[in-house]
Amino acid sequence: MSGGIARGRLAEERKSWRKNHPHGFVAKPETQPDGTVNLMVWHCTIPGKLGTDWEGGYFPLTLNFSEDYPSKPPKCKFPQGFFHPNVYPSGTVCLSILNEDSGWRPAITVKQILVGIQDLLDQPNPADPAQTEGYHLFIQDAAEYKKRVRQQAKQYPSLV
Amino acid sequence: MGRGKVIDDAVMNFAVTGKDHHFLVDADLEDEFSDSFRCSVCLDLLYKPIVLCCGHISCFWCVHRSMNGLGESTCPICRHPYNHFPTICQMLHFLLFKLYPIAYTRREEQTLEEEMETGFFSPQFCYKECNSDLQHHHPMDGKHALDSCFLRNGEFCASTQQIESVKSVSMIQVPTVSIPNKVCDENCCMIKPDSVEENNLPEDKSNRNCKQVSIADVQCNTCKQLLFHPVVLNCGHVYCETCIGPVNEMLTCQVCQSLHPGGLPKVCLEFDHFLEEYFPTEYAMRIEAVQAKQVSVKFQHPITCSTKACEKSFQSSFVTTSENLSWRADPHSKVHPRVGCDSCGVYPIVGDRYKCKDCVEEVGFDLCGECYNTCSKRPGRFSQQHTSEHKFELVKSNIIHDIMLRLVTGQLDSAGDDASGISENESPAPILSSDAQDSSSNNLASAVTHPDSAEDENETQTTR
Repeated sequence: MSGGIARGRLAEERKSWRKNHPHGFVAKPETQPDGTVNLMVWHCTIPGKLGTDWEGGYFPLTLNFSEDYPSKPPKCKFPQGFFHPNVYPSGTVCLSILNEDSGWRPAITVKQILVGIQDLLDQPNPADPAQTEGYHLFIQDAAEYKKRVRQQAKQYPSLV
Repeated sequence: MGRGKVIDDAVMNFAVTGKDHHFLVDADLEDEFSDSFRCSVCLDLLYKPIVLCCGHISCFWCVHRSMNGLGESTCPICRHPYNHFPTICQMLHFLLFKLYPIAYTRREEQTLEEEMETGFFSPQFCYKECNSDLQHHHPMDGKHALDSCFLRNGEFCASTQQIESVKSVSMIQVPTVSIPNKVCDENCCMIKPDSVEENNLPEDKSNRNCKQVSIADVQCNTCKQLLFHPVVLNCGHVYCETCIGPVNEMLTCQVCQSLHPGGLPKVCLEFDHFLEEYFPTEYAMRIEAVQAKQVSVKFQHPITCSTKACEKSFQSSFVTTSENLSWRADPHSKVHPRVGCDSCGVYPIVGDRYKCKDCVEEVGFDLCGECYNTCSKRPGRFSQQHTSEHKFELVKSNIIHDIMLRLVTGQLDSAGDDASGISENESPAPILSSDAQDSSSNNLASAVTHPDSAEDENETQTTR
C-alpha cells in the first residue's frame, strides 16, 4: 500500500515508548527469525493492577497493526481462551476505543491502548460481553469469578 | 513508501548492532520540537499543518488520509464531524519552518519523497509572489516574511529545467538538487540561512535570515496585533476569536473572500498556548486589552471542543452536514465518492460536480456546483496548475443516469451483480457501480483524488 504512514507512525510510537512508558508494561515490535524487526506486530505485557485480583499477573498481549493504521485501530489479542468477560474466545479484546466505528481515533497511542486494556481487566463492561464463561461468572457468581481471576494471574507470572 | 524504508533500515541497524541509545540517530542532530506541534496521527513534527474546525491540528496528508471518501469525516483527535477539507494554514507552516528549520526540512524531504512515489503532490509554497489571489499575505509594509504563493509544481519531477525553477523559488530545496547541502547540514548540525538567500529572493524578504519568530509572523489578519485565541478558517487564514465576531450568516474570510462552511471554528489551543509562552508580555497585554474592551465573559472561555453551546450552533449552521448524512439513505442522491471540491474543500462532492477538462495532473481538478456557479478562482487543493481559461464539464449524476440507463435497457435486476464485481470493500456498492458504468475517464477522476484509493481502482480496472 503506497503512501501509508503505518510504519512511520509505529517507529515514532516505538521512540516515544523507549523515552517513557508506564511501569511494569512491556511493548516491543516482533523480531523475526532472521533478526529483522517487524513493526507491524508488537508483543506486549500488561501488568495486573496493584490492589486488584489481577495483581501479580503479567498478561501477554499481541497488537496486530494493519497498513491502514492509524486510520484503523490495531487488533489486540490475549492468548486464546483468556478469561475475561470482554475478551472473545479467540483472545481478541472487545473495547470501545479499539472499535473503528465507535471510539477509535488515530490520535490514540499504543500507551493509551495498553493502559486502557489494563483498566478494562478490573472493570469489565457487562453491557458488551464477548465470552459466555467470563460473563456468566461475573454476573452470577462473584466468588467463583474472583477465584478464576486470581488463578489466571498466577498462570502469568513475571518473566523478569 | 520511502519513509518506511528508511525507518526500517534504522530499526534493522539497531537490531544488528544492538545499540540501544543510537536508535534513529538522526533524531539527535535535530532541534527538539514542542509536543504541541507533534501531529497526533504520524507522531512527527507537523508538516503543512491543517487546522480543523474543532481547532485540532494535523499534517496535510494525515488529514487527507483520515478523511472518509464516502461521507462525513471525523477529526482524528476528537472525532468531531466535518465535511470540508481545509486549506493548509500557511501561517503555521512558515512558523514551524522558522522554529525548527532542520526538522521541518527533513519533513519536507520525507513528504516529497512519498509524494514522488504516489504521484500526488501537496501544494508548494514559496516566498515569491506569483498569485494575486494570495497577495493578502503581504501587508503594506513589505516586510512581512510570510508572503507566499502556490508554486505550480505539479510536474516538477518531469524535467530538470523545472526542478531548477522550483529550486529557485522554493523555501526549502528539492532534495534531488540539494544533496550536498543536506549532507552539510547534517554534519555541522545547523541550517545555513545563506542557502535560502542565494535563491534570488527579493530584498525585502531578508529578515528570513533571522530565525527568531516575531509578532509579524503571528498577527491577526484583522487587527494586525498578536493573535489572541486564534481561530483558523477553512481557507487557512488565521484571526483572533474576537476579531471574527458573531456570525449570523456564512462566515466570510476578509482576506480571500472565501466562505467558511459551518459556524465559528474553535480556538486552536495548541497555537494559543504557543503564543502565550513565546510572547508572554505581549500576550498578557492582549488579554488586558480584550478584557477592557469587552466586559462580556465570552472571551474568558475560548470556544473549544468541549463547549456544548458551540457544538449546537455549529451543527445547526452546518448546512451540508445533513445533506451529507442523508445521501446514503437517498437512492437519488448524487454523491461523487472520493471526489472533493478544489475550491470549498467539500469532500466528497454531493450534487453537481464539474470536472476540469484541461488539468493534466493525476489528482484532477473538480468543483462542486456551488463553487462552479460562483466562479471560484481559488487554486487547487493539491498541486494543480488550474487556470481560469480551463474548461469544465459537468459530470452527470451517476446514480440517476445509471438507473435510467438500466430502466431503458431492462437491466435493473443485474445491478447488484455488477456492483459486486467492481469492488468488494466499498459498502455503497450501487454508487460505485454507477461510476463504473460511466466513461472510464470519469471513473479514474473519481478515484484519484484519494491516493489510497488509487490502488483499489487499479484493481478494478484490471478486473474489467
